[in-house]
Amino acid sequence: MNDSLYLAWRYLSHHRAKTLLLVLSLSVFLGLPLVMRAMSAVIQQSLMARAQSTPLLLGKKGSSLDLVVEALYFQPKGIEALTASDADEIDGTGLAQAIPVRTGLLARQFPVVGTSLDYFSFRGLRIAEGRALGTLGECVVGAEVATTLGLEPGDSLLTSPSTLFDLAGVYPLKLRVVGTLEPSYAPDDRTVFVDVKTAWVAEGLGHGHQDLATASGDVVLKRKDGAVTANAKLVQYNEITTENADGFHFHGAPSSYPVSAVIVVPNDIKAGVLLRGRFVGDDARQLLRPAQVVQGLNAQIFRFERVLRIIVWTVGLATALMFVLVMVLSWRLRADELRTMTRLGCSRWKAVQIMGAEVFLMVGTSVALAAFLGLAITHYGETWLQNLVLRGS
Amino acid sequence: MGCLLLLVALGCSKQEPQAPPPETKRAASVYAVNYPLAYFAERLAPEGIEVVFPAPPNVDPAFWKPTPDTIGQYQRAGLILLNGAGYARWTRYATLPKSRIVVTAEGCRDELLQTGEAIAHQHGPGGEHSHQGTAFTTWLDMRLALCQASHIRDALVELTPANADAIHAKLDALQADLTQLDIRVRGAADAWGDQPMLASHPVYQYLADAYGLRIESVHFEPDQALGPKDIEELESLVARHPAKLMLFEAEPLPETKRLLRDQGIATVVFDPAAQPPNDGDFLSVMTGNTSRLACATGAEACP
Repeated sequence: MNDSLYLAWRYLSHHRAKTLLLVLSLSVFLGLPLVMRAMSAVIQQSLMARAQSTPLLLGKKGSSLDLVVEALYFQPKGIEALTASDADEIDGTGLAQAIPVRTGLLARQFPVVGTSLDYFSFRGLRIAEGRALGTLGECVVGAEVATTLGLEPGDSLLTSPSTLFDLAGVYPLKLRVVGTLEPSYAPDDRTVFVDVKTAWVAEGLGHGHQDLATASGDVVLKRKDGAVTANAKLVQYNEITTENADGFHFHGAPSSYPVSAVIVVPNDIKAGVLLRGRFVGDDARQLLRPAQVVQGLNAQIFRFERVLRIIVWTVGLATALMFVLVMVLSWRLRADELRTMTRLGCSRWKAVQIMGAEVFLMVGTSVALAAFLGLAITHYGETWLQNLVLRGS
Repeated sequence: MGCLLLLVALGCSKQEPQAPPPETKRAASVYAVNYPLAYFAERLAPEGIEVVFPAPPNVDPAFWKPTPDTIGQYQRAGLILLNGAGYARWTRYATLPKSRIVVTAEGCRDELLQTGEAIAHQHGPGGEHSHQGTAFTTWLDMRLALCQASHIRDALVELTPANADAIHAKLDALQADLTQLDIRVRGAADAWGDQPMLASHPVYQYLADAYGLRIESVHFEPDQALGPKDIEELESLVARHPAKLMLFEAEPLPETKRLLRDQGIATVVFDPAAQPPNDGDFLSVMTGNTSRLACATGAEACP
């Protein structure tokens, strides 16, 4: 048997191009269903896991899927914002813990999410290097952000301006990286976390500037009845430091500032039911169970997968027929070669064994390649697949 | 395929999503932003709960800026006691776990008092605004102090429900002490009537408001001699607010006392006790304050 395998191997390595073509065709045929199944399972599993670990989500009335996708997976969907008072209202009930989530900002293509410290313990996120958020202007980056951008504690990161050509718009805020997170294999890995107040500053709702009481005359337009009007020369800070943090301030009540959604963690099942009851008749807000919404998304994926599977099997059948045809034609073309082998003393059975070994080697290599592809997608493509699905949803 | 079906089957189940198991209560440490709150917590906390006030001595906790490490200690505490009324400015820009914060003065008054020192200003499209300060020495109104203590009690009961009865009993004892102080301060204030009074710093707003004292403030440091500008300010103030008594946060310099005495103004030390005293505790400091005030106003015999 070994000699048959050896001869088959020698033949295949001599005809590299043909072998490679056949192996790749077979790999794609065998790999597609595997990859598809892996993709489907991974997406459904990871989406479901995150949704199930989030008991309730409060947001403005509108598309529940968009709300879940933006608040849980940080994919921008342009959802309408609540206010911080909505989070306070949940806290005030004593039935649940409210964790605000403010999305919509970017820093070098990664989402910047404003939240509270409770988010980290809620998701079980642990600091790999550095420390947790301490003050305004600081950020903690997910594992993938740290690796991709080469960030470590002590580095800084600029938020992206909301509109490039809006010269009067909000300036980017320089964030200080104070910690990196351990990988969690979830959207948190691709996220820059800041305090929700820092997010408000980055959005232009809060700011810091030189002290007007002591500002020089060329900055002040007028002083009248204790009121100072400054001109555009007034220096506004684009970085929050220990020295100027004290001077950063918000105009208006912070309770009126926007939060994209509120993760609601009820004290127990009964508290959750009571809370959901309170929002049943609410015209402006919805309190939903993310798991239920993701079930709907999964059902869509499942339906799509069924259609795709029929297509894959049809293409696969064509590939298999093509493979058989190529092999039969190849054996015909090799009739002289087989005759020479027989004349040299090779039995017909041995010739069949050699041909069989060729098929075995090619199919075996294709199966191995397909399995490798499936496994790689399952293990390393989770976040990538999630993004692929959610961006398109 | 089987795996996929299983997943879908799981996804379709009607099971209620469960909240993650509640976080184990942190081994108890209570961090406060000033000494009075730390004192109330110490009086009320059951055994095994560590009460920490980490500000270094000789700094005003209201304007102290803790290091990131100290902020980290606050973040890890089981309870974080804030005073409210804008006290401890660092808490405005620090990231603290909201679920463990207790703003002790919240809900104790309909409206907080303002310092009256504001500069309105305008820049950009946001319109005119000001950063008028809120008066924050709330605990000098003993009833307000008691309200703050009762909020600490509630938080401690929630943190250690097994000790609820003991904590309630401890608040009763603290209430008796604070009520006693309240009665004595009120007596001193009543004896003084509506005569004007001065204060070396604008920290007595709640004391004045609660006990009906007419106090006007300057900015004199007890350990610094008065300069010509200070004297000028004092004379102009006394001209429209003829006070015979001036409250100081700490013992003023002998020259300052003499200078004030020459103007016919007696000095009384009324220590707000934002920092722990070298000897005694919050109660003994407040008792001393009350005795000195009662003596100066003639409400009680001087020792």
